[in-house]
Amino acid sequence: MATDSRPDTFDSVDWDRVEADTGGVPVVAVVEALTFLAFGAALAYDYLIVPEGEPTVLDWDVTAVEWLFVAVLLLGLFHVVVPLARSRRMTAYYWRQFRKNRLAVASLGYLGVLLVIGVLGPAIWAAPNETISYAEAYAPPIFIGGDLASLDHALGTDAQGRHLWHLIVYGIRVSFEVGLIAMTLAITIGTIVGAVAAYFGGYVDEVLMRYVDIQQTFPVFILLLLLIYLYGASLFLIILLYGVFGWEGTARLVRSEALQRTEEAYSRAAEAAGASKLWVVRRHIIPNVSSTVITAATLSIPVFILGEAALSFLGFGDPGTFSWGRTINAGRSDIDSAWWISTIPGLFLFLTVLAFNFVGDALRDAIDPRSDSG
Amino acid sequence: MSRDPLVEVENLEKHYPITEGLLKKQVGTVRAVDGVSFDIGRGETVGLVGESGCGKSTAATSMLRLEEPTGGTVRFDGEDITEYDDAALKRFRRRAQMIFQDPSSSFDPRMSIGESVAEPLRIHGLNDRTRRRAVVEDLLERVGLSASDADRYPHEFSGGQKQRVAVARALSVNPDFILADEPVSALDVSIQADVLSLLDDVQSEFGLSFLLISHDMGVVRQVCDRVNVMYLGEIVESGPTEEVFGNPQHPYTKALLSSIPRPDPRKRGRGIELTGDVPDPSNPPDGCRFHTRCPAVIPPEGLAVAQETWRSLLDLRSRAARGDLDPGALADAADEPSPTPALVREAFDLPDPLPDGEAEATLAAALETAADGDVAAAGERLVEAFPTPCARQAPERRRVSPDHEATCHLHDPDLAPDHGDAYGIGVAEND
Repeated sequence: MATDSRPDTFDSVDWDRVEADTGGVPVVAVVEALTFLAFGAALAYDYLIVPEGEPTVLDWDVTAVEWLFVAVLLLGLFHVVVPLARSRRMTAYYWRQFRKNRLAVASLGYLGVLLVIGVLGPAIWAAPNETISYAEAYAPPIFIGGDLASLDHALGTDAQGRHLWHLIVYGIRVSFEVGLIAMTLAITIGTIVGAVAAYFGGYVDEVLMRYVDIQQTFPVFILLLLLIYLYGASLFLIILLYGVFGWEGTARLVRSEALQRTEEAYSRAAEAAGASKLWVVRRHIIPNVSSTVITAATLSIPVFILGEAALSFLGFGDPGTFSWGRTINAGRSDIDSAWWISTIPGLFLFLTVLAFNFVGDALRDAIDPRSDSG
Repeated sequence: MSRDPLVEVENLEKHYPITEGLLKKQVGTVRAVDGVSFDIGRGETVGLVGESGCGKSTAATSMLRLEEPTGGTVRFDGEDITEYDDAALKRFRRRAQMIFQDPSSSFDPRMSIGESVAEPLRIHGLNDRTRRRAVVEDLLERVGLSASDADRYPHEFSGGQKQRVAVARALSVNPDFILADEPVSALDVSIQADVLSLLDDVQSEFGLSFLLISHDMGVVRQVCDRVNVMYLGEIVESGPTEEVFGNPQHPYTKALLSSIPRPDPRKRGRGIELTGDVPDPSNPPDGCRFHTRCPAVIPPEGLAVAQETWRSLLDLRSRAARGDLDPGALADAADEPSPTPALVREAFDLPDPLPDGEAEATLAAALETAADGDVAAAGERLVEAFPTPCARQAPERRRVSPDHEATCHLHDPDLAPDHGDAYGIGVAEND
């Protein structure tokens, strides 16, 4: 207060005046809203103004999946990176816990590098199809040596002479798109359904949870085959299906956690201090459930990535993308003469899935409140 | 009374329905709080004591409307809070704060201590971060912590420190009334005294009204001006602390007081032992609710046996009447081929024969019936032969001195003209 230079004490606050104060909106929320407004405008520009088939900017024609990927990355920026940067003490505490697991730190580093390559790589390295050169087909990686080995294609080439490194870079993009978008969809739906079920209880809870039971027994793979048969395979469709049919576990987890948290004394303490139900849910229940959600989210990413790779391996993948699964499948017939075509993308897939699992396990150890005794 | 109390609780009731089946048919009621009345004056510390399960915590949560009371009124500063709408209730909650029993679960593990203490400020609309920070730092120092502790997390504090933080949190919105539900029972004895004296200091410095809920008579004695003793959803005795402790007027209070450990071994008596558990609040005993455990139950006129024998006789009587007596099981336990009256007599510590001839005849006949397997008939016979006003009618609240009330038949000159003398309980006027 400007009128009084003395610092406030609890008995100097004039509550009649405070109650009239409505308060402002936090800056971060404003920035986020503006960012998404800009995103919406760009999306509208791409779909309403740019003619079909023309590139959106320069020579980049942004696909639907890429738009979604950008949205997910922005969400991650505002809801993961910004909060971590704002509460440094908390971040430092969790980092100390996380750091205890060396393997997970290495995995996190590996995934970080992969993410950067996946996002920026396609702007640096040409699309694999632009590197087709039958003269250079089956070139082995440089560390094997041989007549065709060259620094130009250090990891070798495939049957059409496409550089394996380029295939891998574009595959990283695909894997991260699948993993992150499907995870975001699944976690969002799951958290909302779980929280709503726990918060409203009664019949709402009963109906939602019985639906979850039904969905869990639903054969998504067969639906996927049907849709691919009807509409043709597209990465967008695959991601959407994985996201929309992959949230049951999260919903159950969130519901049971939320039910527990409402009974905790701190929820009651907030209520006794005058907090509304919504306040308790937002400030106490969701933040305390979030550790479970974050762990579940991290561990669900590799499942989606593996799922997409498996589909592509079986030939149901999007023919317009360079999924690792597709590359592995393509190299299968040459496994005795050119083992690297299948093996190197396979190694990347293996390491990526492993890294996500390590990070997820370490995150659970670091942030799950059940493991830190008060 | 001429006092102008801050909080007046009148006939507060909290009944929980017991439901069964799909249609949630109500099959019974748990009378957790059953018509409780007391006042809390401005700047006064009032205690609410009783065994666990007697409904004192439910009384607390329903008087703050954390659970909706099913009956009665609670007046705060002259206004009935049971009529409040949401907005008024929120304003009331700024003026009445609560401290919880378990300091380790009453803080959100994801919030720093500073955020937790500032939470009530935020809830009530103080949006200025720097002002909140100033209030929190000042408060933490007042309760004996340092301002820099605001950035630490709950797991970095001990139980006693957390309870100090809880006091700071309760004070943050400058309330008029603080309800402390077992504030020290989760703490080590050595730390209890610190936290209690902090509460005492805070209370006298800011002239707050306090309601302290505890099962520990020692804690209540240390900080309270007045005490209400609760048993099975009802208040059985209330009065100024010195009077209730110095001259208890209810057998239950006496029993609770004798449970305080005494440091002087010469004064250590056998104390008054209460047998059995608190009865089920969904099916409270008829008459005086304490009569099933009371050591001073009024005997029938002309019964010439010692009080302990009468107590045993009454135990037998109520067990048999409830059908909760199994002579067969007693025989099995004693390796006897068949139940005998002597076994039952032994199990209830009844002398053979009773000094009173008439009573002995009835008892012997009833035991015979029970041993033959007809426990219900034995129960009926005993109830008929040994009537007591304590089981028949509920006692009224009577005033024993200007500010000291108790609810016990021993104060009724018509029922027990001098029975209470042996317990230091005299007859009193009707309130």
